[in-house]
Amino acid sequence: MATNSIKLLTGNSHPQLAKAVAERLGINLAKTMSLNYSNQETSVTVGESVRDEDVFILQSTAPGDINDGLMELLIMINACKTASARRITAVIPNFPYARQDKKDKSRAPISAKLIANMLQTAGCNHVITMDLHASQIQGFFNVPVDNLYAEPSTLRWIRQNLNVRDCVVVSPDAGGAKRATSIADRLDLGFALIHKERARPNEVSRMVLVGDVENKIAILVDDMADTCGTLVKAAETVMNHKAREVVAIVTHGILSGNAIETLNRSTLSRVVVTNTVPLGDKKERCERLRVMDISPTLAEAIRRTHNGESVSFLFTHAPSD
Amino acid sequence: MVRNIVVLGGNSHPELVKQVSDTLGVPACNRILNKFSVGESRLEIQDSVRGKDVYIIQSGGGKVNDNFVDLCIMISACKTGSAKRVTAVLPLFPYSRQPDVPYNKAGAPLSKAPTDVNRNDFTFESRPPTPSPSQAQSVSLPNGQEFLQKKLGKTLLDQQNGHSYSNSITPRRSDTTDSVPLSTNGHTRDQNGSSSSLNGSTVGNQTFTTHDYENYTIMNNSLFNPKPGYKQWVAQAGTLVADLLTCAGADHIITMDLHDPQYQGFFDIPVDNLYGKSILKRYIQTNIPDFKSAVIVSPDAGGAKRATVIADDLNVEFALIHKERRPTRITDRQNATMMLVGNVANRVCILVDDLADTSNTITRAAKLLKNEGATHVYALLTHGIFSGDAIARINASALDRVVVTNSVPQDEHVRLCPKLEVLEVGSVFAEAIRRVHHGESISALFWD
Repeated sequence: MATNSIKLLTGNSHPQLAKAVAERLGINLAKTMSLNYSNQETSVTVGESVRDEDVFILQSTAPGDINDGLMELLIMINACKTASARRITAVIPNFPYARQDKKDKSRAPISAKLIANMLQTAGCNHVITMDLHASQIQGFFNVPVDNLYAEPSTLRWIRQNLNVRDCVVVSPDAGGAKRATSIADRLDLGFALIHKERARPNEVSRMVLVGDVENKIAILVDDMADTCGTLVKAAETVMNHKAREVVAIVTHGILSGNAIETLNRSTLSRVVVTNTVPLGDKKERCERLRVMDISPTLAEAIRRTHNGESVSFLFTHAPSD
Repeated sequence: MVRNIVVLGGNSHPELVKQVSDTLGVPACNRILNKFSVGESRLEIQDSVRGKDVYIIQSGGGKVNDNFVDLCIMISACKTGSAKRVTAVLPLFPYSRQPDVPYNKAGAPLSKAPTDVNRNDFTFESRPPTPSPSQAQSVSLPNGQEFLQKKLGKTLLDQQNGHSYSNSITPRRSDTTDSVPLSTNGHTRDQNGSSSSLNGSTVGNQTFTTHDYENYTIMNNSLFNPKPGYKQWVAQAGTLVADLLTCAGADHIITMDLHDPQYQGFFDIPVDNLYGKSILKRYIQTNIPDFKSAVIVSPDAGGAKRATVIADDLNVEFALIHKERRPTRITDRQNATMMLVGNVANRVCILVDDLADTSNTITRAAKLLKNEGATHVYALLTHGIFSGDAIARINASALDRVVVTNSVPQDEHVRLCPKLEVLEVGSVFAEAIRRVHHGESISALFWD
């Protein structure tokens, strides 16, 4: 029996993505089952040997179930560790608690650091993630972290669906400027920025546009859309500056709370997200929503990690579908 | 009034937090602890903790995972907020009791399953058996056209009736079968005891309890097939939870009646395991008339030690219920039968256990005791989790009175169950916190 092959495990958070990745890799998902008991504790049953195998555990974050998903992931990692897996890689397309990454107030928890510590304590040897909210989160880990980018997929989508010459890339906040400029550079486009002041989390305040969007298709680029308050306000600001159309391209479409209703009422013509986060029925509820499949990128990263090949190729190229 | 101490409460048990802080004379720390709309926990501690001795009270009931992650975040926030020492107070320790696939005298648990022809991973013999007079005819072509016709017709009928492949020709499991059946989403949200059945869980609702592993056929046949030849196992989260608390920055743990005393050894930091024993004992002495002639009963062998200690202290007799897990021939489904060791006829029985989750064990024990002639059955438990349909089960059971401590919130349970009585543990934890803070002995709390 051939040893040290890829074993792909998954929790309950995003079975569709796991299936897509497994199909792309040409393997079956490992036989595991995780469920919640009536007392709400999570139980993981393992029905397949992982001894001396290269284990990849894919777990995304389903909105509302963040902590359940997290515990499920930790228990799975620990189960594989105690079952003598050779290496355990956590594939977390959307890193949970990524926004709580600094002590912005007295006694504020740095939860992202805590999650990083917890993953390592559970026995994780490697982390593959995508578009971290702040790439400094990689520094919270003492194990290798591969931060993949959705940018190549984004670029392909823009080239295929928009008239590139008429576009301008807009960053909805100063923090995302780097991400937006990078895309603007690759497409040789102009760039604009929205400056905002945030009063409280999940709420947005005043916005100022820096740059020219007149008579252009504005592409709002961000790493995540949660309640979509920022995005919609930014879209309004851009439209007030006489943009022809405004499209949002976001990596993690968390879309929690009233996000769908907010989007349906907004001036955004299209909202493009990747499938890092399970969308459920949101696509049916919002016809402006488009989904880019990033499972090829994840599958390729897993394959390359397993074979010891360079992953950096994926930072600039998206595997074809 | 104790100085330089901060009592920080989680969301799991505000009542206990209030009791403890009232007893200590220290107001609970102001904090905001809720969730962002995405489901991530949000914490803001509004009072200073710098240089303080922080005690974080969070029980393991309710939404266990949310409460546990909240606890870790609180510990970590206090630690980064320069607290001198952070003590996690967990009246009920989460994940302290995780079931494994039980030991089975018939062999490994899976050895029973292959009798079912319809199981998915059926493999053929490599060669057909040599025909002999005593043997049934094989289903291959030599049986002729007629046989084939008959079988095909039957298969068609079966498929129309919803059974698939009732003859021995079973297709090999398709290799694309998903390992986690999507329909069996583990995060079932209907935990409000929607099923009224009293024996075990209901597979249709996909609500599982820790007892389902005793009846592993439910687990196996309904939703999960391990790889052939591999004995499935359940991940034990015990060490992980201990490690995670340590990793979050806890310096000290205070808990009560750990299910396994060995659990203390999973930690590299001090763990004070308090006993609910003295509270339960006091209840027996004051509330059970003529307790001297009663019998203390342990509902399983694991709790025998806990029960004998109380029996010895009170100088009353002791009996034990032995759980026999061997499958009985009459009803295969009910594979845990019970057996009483000791005499309870015409006596009052006091069941003593550390924890009741689905209450399967204590209700069945009560039934057995009543059958054996017990006049009155009390159940004394430290932790009453009462998940699933536990309350309905207790209401319908032979138990006369159930006494628990409020290590997890019991308000809702008391409302639904007239047999339930709740004892306060807040003062015990307050005293333990006071003693830990002043560096006094905790073991003095254990005597009496």
